[in-house]
Amino acid sequence: MRRTTVILLRNPLSMLGVVLVAAVVISAALADYIAPFPEHRGAVVDFVHFNQGPTARNVMGTDLVGRDLFSRILYAFRISLLLGVVVLAIATPIGTFVGLLAGYLGGRAEFALMRLTDVFLSIPPLVLAIAMMGVLEPTLLNAMLAVTAMWWPWYARLVYNITRSEREEGYVLAAEVIGASTLHVTFREILPNCLPAIITKMTLDMGFVIIIASSLSFLGLGVQPPTPDLGSMVAEGARYLPDSWWLTVFPGLAILVAVFGFNLIGDALREILGADQ
Amino acid sequence: MKLLKTTLAIGLSAATALAAPAIAGGTLRLDEVAVGELDPAKASDYADSILMFNVYDTLVLPVQGGPGHAPHLAESWESDGNSFTFTLRDDVNFQSGNPLTADDVVFSLERMKALGAGLSYLFGVVESAEATAPSTVRFNLSSPYAPFVASLVRLPIVDRKLVMENLGEGDGEMGDWGQAFLSANGGGTGAYRVVSHNPQEETVMEKNRDYFLDIAEAAPDTVRLRYGLEASTVRTLIATGEHDISSQWLPPEVMGALAREGAQLFTESGTGAFYLKMNTTKPPLDDVNCRRALSAAFDYQTAIRMIAITEDVSAGSPSTGAIPVGMFGANDGSMVQVQDLDGAREYLAACGHDPAEMDIEISWIAEVPLEERFALLFQSNLAEIGVKSHIRKLPWALFSEQVSKPENTPHISQLFVNAVTGDPDTLLYGMYHSSTPGTWQSPEYLSDARVDEYLDAGRNASATDAREEAYSILNARLMEIAPTIYGYDRQSVFAASDRVRAPALSDPAYAFGLDGMGFSFRLMEVAED
Repeated sequence: MRRTTVILLRNPLSMLGVVLVAAVVISAALADYIAPFPEHRGAVVDFVHFNQGPTARNVMGTDLVGRDLFSRILYAFRISLLLGVVVLAIATPIGTFVGLLAGYLGGRAEFALMRLTDVFLSIPPLVLAIAMMGVLEPTLLNAMLAVTAMWWPWYARLVYNITRSEREEGYVLAAEVIGASTLHVTFREILPNCLPAIITKMTLDMGFVIIIASSLSFLGLGVQPPTPDLGSMVAEGARYLPDSWWLTVFPGLAILVAVFGFNLIGDALREILGADQ
Repeated sequence: MKLLKTTLAIGLSAATALAAPAIAGGTLRLDEVAVGELDPAKASDYADSILMFNVYDTLVLPVQGGPGHAPHLAESWESDGNSFTFTLRDDVNFQSGNPLTADDVVFSLERMKALGAGLSYLFGVVESAEATAPSTVRFNLSSPYAPFVASLVRLPIVDRKLVMENLGEGDGEMGDWGQAFLSANGGGTGAYRVVSHNPQEETVMEKNRDYFLDIAEAAPDTVRLRYGLEASTVRTLIATGEHDISSQWLPPEVMGALAREGAQLFTESGTGAFYLKMNTTKPPLDDVNCRRALSAAFDYQTAIRMIAITEDVSAGSPSTGAIPVGMFGANDGSMVQVQDLDGAREYLAACGHDPAEMDIEISWIAEVPLEERFALLFQSNLAEIGVKSHIRKLPWALFSEQVSKPENTPHISQLFVNAVTGDPDTLLYGMYHSSTPGTWQSPEYLSDARVDEYLDAGRNASATDAREEAYSILNARLMEIAPTIYGYDRQSVFAASDRVRAPALSDPAYAFGLDGMGFSFRLMEVAED
């Protein structure tokens, strides 16, 4: 653990990742204290200050109904992080469970579980999410469900592959010989060996989930106004380019910062944990 | 970033300034929302109307700059009770070369009624049409219908012979009534013929040199009408001189930015309004006091500020009641509606539902970004009187499906509605008569015997005074029962490059007072390419 931390901090790129992610998490957590206009997260209108570029009062300008863009971006980070955490918190256990069982049991269970996974993987992810959102009402919860539905198969695939190779390893055979149960072998013996890969993938995925969720709300299928959301901010602002550039540029940069940060950390983790293995 | 923007702005304005050569029939480029429906019997929205008014002609045209209608394909007409007889001009040929006859007029009406699409409902009262002579046609109405002549601007005359030669498969003798053919080809007498047509992308038209009226040399030789361009694309194309007239759906800020760089602003006004329509069947809006509370809470003044484009041009003017200023029965300009929060709280107290339990669903149409801002404005207005609400974005297709059932219709539907013939009957009858609930125009589901009575009176009275009075009482009644929040009287604004002149869209003395008619290309002038 200490070695991991040291390596992470010594590499300038991964250090940058840590700083970016920390900045995003802190601004989301402390939005109530940092945001100059906390009430602007909701349905506030101010037609004295609407559609203004960056000023001392509003460092990132104001949107089309006069809300402070900086404050809204801070609150939008909350939605993005929440979405990322919830989606991965549901998708990862499901995918891991399916992958472990299929990989270890083999035979019919493997066939059934992995073909089901293939069915989900064969549909382009965004199309699957759009189709689900078309049927469901566009709310934050449903957006989470839709993204989760497209995310778990990747974990199933990953864990399945690792389990398949670990199944033949000596320590697994040893456990089987002394009569350990299937649950013990899969969860106590094989799973710990999958964890580095899972954790790395989760960190990398955090960024991708944020992007997919933003794409959904860019299309109007995600979080609904007045809740601030980076994707819908970019979508709304795009109509006003190039004059009101701040409407798109700052939310776009915010997405970039969050996704870039998680990706850098993910890359670093992959190196460190890969070396451990 | 600032530097980049300044450089960009200088570049764009320089490009705009370059184009100001002599006016002489070049190519006119404009855009509208997809889809462009070319079959005139199915035409209903703005893009369809532009196509229809240029490829086809009608018996009458609105008088430019004044009230009433003037003969166009007709030479004259007379009415006798419930029948109208039109004498046609004898010098008109279709673009195919076939001469125009009374049979074509009869065929056009029958086709319109048989297809039952677009604005065919306007001709529900026409029992029959008959050609009494080669150039005389008589319409027999089943009941008195004062706006009949006005509605003829929506009866484009189709080339019967050409359509009969191109009938597609379908039930009965008339097959598909030429739908397949006319949705891809022109079949009218109009000043412009269709060169190519893709309803999702572009329609190209060229000047009809054999038109029965003189067309100025400076009128565009070629017109390219493109569909579904992004606002930022249109904004850039106009600034760089690669586009001539924007659609009216550009956000006001974008129009304003173009105007500051030297673009012209064209306007067309007087036939419609912006509405927040309340579902009168859904609690708490089934209670008249709740509806009045919401009407009083709406911030009308801010709404007007939101749509200002420049100091002189705005996309609307303050509402004075249920009927837009300029139409029969409208209140005068002194009765402008204003926000009244105290009044709203009083109405709310008198309402039979508990305000604490209300959750008003405010919908907005996804294709019209401006509506999102009105939704947010209204949401904050409602918060001021302690009413909770949530906002829902609905694509047009989903909205028009949901309004067919009162329980699926949102509490608040935001809509822009225009009188398709310029007559208040076509604006209000479809919205409020109890026989027409659940269309996109009537998400109120209003059922009020007195409203029905006044609507019928306005439709049936033949004297102008009587109509004026009926609509005036109707206006008062609608304000009393508040089925709708009358946001503002609408004016369509279009940004245009300085290559174009369009008196019908810039000089009130030449305005038609009918949506889309200002886009008669034969009356426009455009610079050489």
